Amino acid sequence: MIAGYKPLPGVPDEFATEKGVPRRHWMRFLEALNELSGPEIERRLADCDQYLRDSGVSYRAWGDDAESMGSPEREWPLSHIPLVIPEGEWQEIAAGVAQRAELLEAVLADIYGPGRLIAEGALPPAVVTGSSEFLRPLHGVKPPGGRYLQLYAADVGRGPDGRWWVLGDRTQAPSGAGYALENRVALSRAFPELYRRMNVERLAPFFQSLRAGLAALAERADPRICLLSPGTLSETYFEHAYLARYLGLLLVEGADLTMRHNQIHVRTVAGLKRADVLLRRIDSNFADPLELNSASELGVPGLIEAVRAGSVVVANALGSGVLEAPALMGFIPGLARRVLGEDLLLPNIATWWCGQERERREVLDGLDDMAIGGAFGQALPGFDTHGPILGASLDGEARERLARLMEERGADFVGQEIVKLSTTPVLDNGRLAPRPFVMRVFATATASGWRIMQGGFVRISDQVDARAVSMRKGVLSADVWILADKPVEQTSLLPTGKNIRIRRIMGNLPSRAADNMFWLGRYVERTEATLRIVRALAAQLVESDGGREKVGRELQCLAQMLVAWGALPAEKKPPVPSAALALAALESEADYGSALRLARSARRAASVIRERLSGDTWSLVGDLEACLVEEMPAASTEAEVFERARNALRVVAALSGLTHENMNRVAGWRFLEIGRRIERGVNTCRFARQLSADDSPFGELDVLLELSDSQITYRQRYLAGLALEPVRDIVILDPGNPRSVAFQVERLVEHLDELPPLHDDGMPEAPRRIVANLAGDIGSIEAAALDHATLLRYEQNLLSLSDAVGARYFLQGPHAARGGKIMGLA
Amino acid sequence: MIYDVTHVTTYSYATPVTFARCNLRLTPRADRGQEVLATSLAIDPKPASETARTCFFGNRVTTLTIEKTHRKLVFTARSRVDVRRDPLPVPLGGETLAEVRRQAIEAESIDGSAPAHFLFPSDRVPAYVPAADYARESFAEGRPALEGALDLIRRIRADFTYDPDATKVSTPLSEAFAARHGVCQDFSHIAIAGLRGLGLPAAYVSGYLRTIPPPGKPRLAGADASHAWLRVWLGRRLGWIGLDPTNAIPERDDHVVLAMGRDYSDVAPVDGILFGAGGQRVSVAVDVVEVAADRARPVP
Repeated sequence: MIAGYKPLPGVPDEFATEKGVPRRHWMRFLEALNELSGPEIERRLADCDQYLRDSGVSYRAWGDDAESMGSPEREWPLSHIPLVIPEGEWQEIAAGVAQRAELLEAVLADIYGPGRLIAEGALPPAVVTGSSEFLRPLHGVKPPGGRYLQLYAADVGRGPDGRWWVLGDRTQAPSGAGYALENRVALSRAFPELYRRMNVERLAPFFQSLRAGLAALAERADPRICLLSPGTLSETYFEHAYLARYLGLLLVEGADLTMRHNQIHVRTVAGLKRADVLLRRIDSNFADPLELNSASELGVPGLIEAVRAGSVVVANALGSGVLEAPALMGFIPGLARRVLGEDLLLPNIATWWCGQERERREVLDGLDDMAIGGAFGQALPGFDTHGPILGASLDGEARERLARLMEERGADFVGQEIVKLSTTPVLDNGRLAPRPFVMRVFATATASGWRIMQGGFVRISDQVDARAVSMRKGVLSADVWILADKPVEQTSLLPTGKNIRIRRIMGNLPSRAADNMFWLGRYVERTEATLRIVRALAAQLVESDGGREKVGRELQCLAQMLVAWGALPAEKKPPVPSAALALAALESEADYGSALRLARSARRAASVIRERLSGDTWSLVGDLEACLVEEMPAASTEAEVFERARNALRVVAALSGLTHENMNRVAGWRFLEIGRRIERGVNTCRFARQLSADDSPFGELDVLLELSDSQITYRQRYLAGLALEPVRDIVILDPGNPRSVAFQVERLVEHLDELPPLHDDGMPEAPRRIVANLAGDIGSIEAAALDHATLLRYEQNLLSLSDAVGARYFLQGPHAARGGKIMGLA
Repeated sequence: MIYDVTHVTTYSYATPVTFARCNLRLTPRADRGQEVLATSLAIDPKPASETARTCFFGNRVTTLTIEKTHRKLVFTARSRVDVRRDPLPVPLGGETLAEVRRQAIEAESIDGSAPAHFLFPSDRVPAYVPAADYARESFAEGRPALEGALDLIRRIRADFTYDPDATKVSTPLSEAFAARHGVCQDFSHIAIAGLRGLGLPAAYVSGYLRTIPPPGKPRLAGADASHAWLRVWLGRRLGWIGLDPTNAIPERDDHVVLAMGRDYSDVAPVDGILFGAGGQRVSVAVDVVEVAADRARPVP
């Protein structure tokens, strides 16, 4: 594995000395690894990758098309070799990061407060005002909770001089802590004995501190803490969901929150519930369309007003991102001396802000040894690049242009020294090879100072020459193993006995989660109904066996249902039932009601509530789409289409079994069920209206029984053959038939009874009234009296129940709908 | 010069609106050369909550919520303002562009009117190279920046067509610039983009302009409109100088200032969110009436 490992010339390597000899702290790792055979290692690594796939770790790379849901997320690329750091060296890094966090907190408090650093000339004002994250509405507002930074991260790398350097600060909403945790879980599962023997520092204490720190910021003793995510299209949504679950936070999006009476509330199925703390993963400029970026749909209108009123803690405080500007970097060493009276323990990468004349000249004179970047972010004004450019790569014309741009708007530019990053080994075709990396180190504020995560999140470049590494294509991530000198305490986030209150209900379900659960249920059920029609159609075609000149009425009926459903395009001529038609209803991309499109809608709803679904459920929802998306030859036979529909129905059955047998009966499950029951009731009414008219022939009634899975029951119950009234009784009225309308209505009554009321006046709410009415109706009618109009009424009642459920549980009255905008006039 | 300003904004909605949260910037700010003698704000329907504050830039903002279902919302703002501005220095003189740039970076303040806030791209005035190229022609090497800025607004007045139907509040400045037409808002944004592109601090001002009827004709009540212009910071000595590109004149006693910010977004007279399903119509009526000094007291 290590044979021929050769560090890159002139670049320090974490694993080996210049001569290629492994360093001492890595020997423990290699020895332990050597005890495993080659195939054994491979098997373990494959397990590790499988674990990551199964748990659904994913990210979206920058530039991925956010609109396309086809191949939206990338699998998580974990390097199988951790970065190993001995404790002594780690302590230096940790002390440096803690010192920096302390400094940045003080700088933020000054920028948004008294402004002494600016007034006294230690910090040019334009370094602050040039950042779009300097939020003027928050100037002079003390952050509720008393601090700006709860979670801080520094990107560090080892330079050619062997020292660790800070390359960048993450003060806005640092990502990666959750991925670090997931990397740790994956790798320690693959190599449990290795992990134990090496005495690796644990991550859990850090997250305990983070959780406790967030709770300590709140006014109330038992605060509701939410993780505010931009939603599923965010690059790191997986991490939001994972962290929320791990830390026991409520995962919310802006639309879940509303501001009333100067407080922030979560819309839940039990009404509005106050939110005390928001761990923020949206950029603050998007946090409040009323006072900040008015185009934002991610935020909460009025959030800043609530912050001003001191009633909600936002962590990190809104506006903390102002410190991420590269322009600020150059001033940090001076600020450390001024604010802390200390030199930086970890140097940061030398930076010259070109707003100042002397610095500008230095940059232009030393261009060959510098990278030129935007002072306030990625974009470099006047150059068509996304990141910094190397000064040495500019030709004469470009240099002149740069000088001219800097003359007019120097404040937009920084020059930074070029640091060649050290390398760490990755497995490349079974051998170790050196690659440059950046390590993100996390710090969280506690009552007794900053606590550093004993580990980190490493990004490894696929380029041999790299200065910065972001999670784009080809980049690996790696775990960081800090080898403790003393035996580490075995901790995990599992709390210890005494102070835990036993509970069975996890707070109130947010309305948006309930909404998506409901629609997941409806979409899965509608997919099932479509699959059943297609299966019945294919089966009928097989039976009719080529005798297609005379198409049976039932065949025509099924085809027309698919058209009415939206599974097939509506055309002037009635559809001609065929294998191709059935296939189109399965996998058409163009028709919103095709089984594929419905399965995709189900997955989209599920993706929003992933943190509430088990891994198995999530992967089955994915399987449903996957088994329909695989293309079939256009000339597939009826039997092949039948088979495809049957396979997909098996996935649906597995999903139903899973939700029925494995999901706790909390409110989320009830909404999933309510969605399915309403949809099934509606569909069954539709089937019955189409296939059990007063003059329906034998064939149609048979298909109706097949669609409702009731053929066997019918034959056991009635020996005399098919007749209209017994069929209607079994399909609509029989409360013992889990596919009958009456059965759905009974379940709906039960579910609605279990949901929390909005008021404690004992009055039934609208959904309950509708379903009670329907239950009375359906429970007292006889099959002989069931006519077309009655069926239509049931169907309409169920649809109005759906609306009522939406209005009561998902929208929360007049404050619910996302508003249009009031615009002023010039 | 004392004015009575009446500014009525009426929103009519196609469907009932159940909730609205708005920010109003309809009360004139305390400003150099302008004294606000009296203000009032009437809102119909009556708001459930209403708070007034002064924003970071020193503008007066009223935040309110309306929780009563309504189809029509009317804001009536009245103010009496005494405007007495200093004329531009004669001769103009002042610092050159390069010197102003340096002083702007060196000004050690982030107060609401500090030049550092007005150097960078903002919501409605993104960095726009063609506007900077256009502005550059007015700033010959060594020319005092004030002369250059006056030349710039004269060129805008000459090169651009005033056309109230050509642009909307939301039209991006690049579009108005390319078509060489627009209204006061567009011209101001374009001038600001140009000045900032050269490294000069430039701010957006909303307010009113007293209109003087043609000789012999009576003044038509309600014929006025709200107006916008800009201010450019020209060094420690001159400070902020107001310029009206729509009329190619400096800010003077006919200009009543409502609010000042980086661009329209910071000073929009009304913005907010509402919960309602249908469309909306907005109408604005502004009246600026000069009050004779003897009739102006006592304050109503």
